[in-house]
Amino acid sequence: MKKLLSMILVLMLAMGAFAAMAAAEEAEAGTVRMLAAVTGGKDEEENILWAEALSEATGLNVIVEKPASDYDNILMQKLSAGESYDLIYINASQYLNLVQQGALTDLTDYIAASEILSNNVPASEWEDLKVDGRIYAGFNKRELHILVGLNRVMLEAAGIDYTQIEPTLDGYYEVFKALREANPSKDFYPFNTILSQNWDLQPWMASVGLKGGVVVDEDGQTYVPYATDAAAPVWEWLKKLYDEELLDPASFVDATKDMRNKMGAASKQTAVDVDWAAWAGLHNANAAADGVSVDEYDIVTLPGCQTPDGSYSLHKGSASLFAVPVNATNVEGAVKVLEYFATQEGGLLLTLGVEGNDYTVSDDGAYTLTEIGASHAMDHGAPVPIYTDFVNPIGLNRGLDTALQYLDYASIEKIIPNEGTYKEIVGKWGISIVKGEVDVTSGLESMRNELVTMGVCDK
Amino acid sequence: MAEKTLNPQKIREENKGKKLMMKLKRYRFIYLMLIPVVVYFLVFSYYPMLLGVVNSFREIRLLGGAAFVGWKNYQTILSSPVYSQAFVNTLIVGAGTFVLQFAWGLLLALCLNEIRRKATRSFFQTITYIPYLLSWAVVGSIWITLLSPSGLINGLLQVIQGESFRKVVFMSERSYARGIMIFTGAWKGAGYFAALFLAAIISINPTLYEAASIDGASRFQQMFCITIPAVVPTIKVVTMLGVMGMLRNFDQIFVMANSNIMDKVRNLLYLIYNEGIVQFKIGPASAAACVVLLATMVISFTVRKLIKYDQIG
Repeated sequence: MKKLLSMILVLMLAMGAFAAMAAAEEAEAGTVRMLAAVTGGKDEEENILWAEALSEATGLNVIVEKPASDYDNILMQKLSAGESYDLIYINASQYLNLVQQGALTDLTDYIAASEILSNNVPASEWEDLKVDGRIYAGFNKRELHILVGLNRVMLEAAGIDYTQIEPTLDGYYEVFKALREANPSKDFYPFNTILSQNWDLQPWMASVGLKGGVVVDEDGQTYVPYATDAAAPVWEWLKKLYDEELLDPASFVDATKDMRNKMGAASKQTAVDVDWAAWAGLHNANAAADGVSVDEYDIVTLPGCQTPDGSYSLHKGSASLFAVPVNATNVEGAVKVLEYFATQEGGLLLTLGVEGNDYTVSDDGAYTLTEIGASHAMDHGAPVPIYTDFVNPIGLNRGLDTALQYLDYASIEKIIPNEGTYKEIVGKWGISIVKGEVDVTSGLESMRNELVTMGVCDK
Repeated sequence: MAEKTLNPQKIREENKGKKLMMKLKRYRFIYLMLIPVVVYFLVFSYYPMLLGVVNSFREIRLLGGAAFVGWKNYQTILSSPVYSQAFVNTLIVGAGTFVLQFAWGLLLALCLNEIRRKATRSFFQTITYIPYLLSWAVVGSIWITLLSPSGLINGLLQVIQGESFRKVVFMSERSYARGIMIFTGAWKGAGYFAALFLAAIISINPTLYEAASIDGASRFQQMFCITIPAVVPTIKVVTMLGVMGMLRNFDQIFVMANSNIMDKVRNLLYLIYNEGIVQFKIGPASAAACVVLLATMVISFTVRKLIKYDQIG
């Protein structure tokens, strides 16, 4: 028995030694383990090519794990199990939760010491990430803004020149009415927006000078502008659209993919929506890939209503990030990857994809998308990379260039840990107001009360 | 020399011990074969459950240490109006689904039993059983589509009411929310209950029906006096299965709920997922999971007593 026990013990020690040696070898080779959600190859095969390209470019051994689905679950399980990653993909809300838990490495000094990260990324982007003056993540991509998307061909068929639309609630109301008259079909609605997810009212709330999300007033108290009485005209306008069947009633339950399907060239069940700038380009690129000409389908963008001071106000997406967990074994390697993402070459990998697979470069330096690359619509994690001076050699998708002109009007909302609760409450009471289940005054009062009760804001 | 006294109690215990050892020795291979199963349950069921109970008393950081906080997590969830509402929703939707599914399943089984042609009966049984085999991702999508403004239900209502009909967004109607969850839940599971009931009905001795028929009993009298009493043991099993699963509904709410109806249908498991997975608050989520476990045990034991589960027939 003693002999058996001794043998088991020796075996275990040997295995432990081998494991330690393997780990040391990995660290020596500069292995970086990434857990990614959207970044990387579009399928398992391409993901391997993508990781190889990243490894070659950075001189590291980059391992990219990209779960097919259920990313949040997997992230939580892996972190709570103590699994070690050098980079994890997270959104802004998760960022704040993880910072509060002390789960992320403070990267402030690394960023300050890096010329690439300091010079190639706009300082304002870093400012948005600061928590008590410290930065705990780097960028996956440059976040774009949400703005009004319009089907130019349908508008013209209704006798509307989109460049002449009056940037007021009444101006857009007239547009929707004209679209309805030109398209009396019961399955068609001129306007669609995802009210259940509070998505996205900023182009309309701008008309009364309100900003989305949670805002801090002069006294340091937080409040939700969309829940104030000042927002009443916009809610009443949305109710009018619903009453007159100009707003798709499915807006109360649809998800963004439903809205995009209805806006797409294949269905054209709606003519105006509010969506990410990138989707203007994606709709057009998808239509072109299906052989639909620009005379048949063309999505253009506008910044919505003017603010009372004559400007515009749009919502910019909260950052999608790569953070370094506190148990990471190769922080320097992780920072090196973040640096690469903030360069022209890194931007190419994040947009076009892998050379030879997604695109080819001819001897004269001309870039051409392969069939695979075209089907991936120049998005391998970042339609627009974080690098300030990034130039897409293929050119932007049609419609995106115009949409990007409005980026200067966009700003992010304050990052809050309970963003889901905020959206649920504003969505719930907003829909009740729009459907006429409650009048706008009492609906907004209920919205405010519930937001305070649930700890979303102070007043 | 002290006289040795015989202690009958001690002798009985010694004999018992010897018998146990003999049995262990005799059936040693069976016990050996049990070991993997026992280990499986210990590792994959009881250890996580125990860890959950321990975690419910700790404040846990995803990466790093955990601090013991006593009953704080329980106080947090018990004083939270969201948890109270979720508990009420869980009970209403869970109990409603079970009752409807039970009645629907029994009715289905009785109807299927009346079909004399075996092939036809098998066909209908398969049709009614299929929804149970589908995941909630599929079933939820089907019903969301059917109930959407451009879905079948609105289409039918439009045909009935004409052009003046205003489309109903069923999935955003707060007053319909629980009803829809109960109905779709029962629709999905009725075929499964029907299969269990039908298996019991088919095994009833046919001579009982023949005798009743000779005595002039109608089909309904046969159903109420022979069929239903004969399936009481199955009814008890089905009841216990249903009650134990009553608080464990997650997928349906995850797939079908939206923010407008969420506070009407959000249940405890959905809330646990949101707290634990989305917001990384593992302590309160574990405490809520323990409450679900406790509530399930209490309800199960109560129902077990009420239906006299251990009594045959």
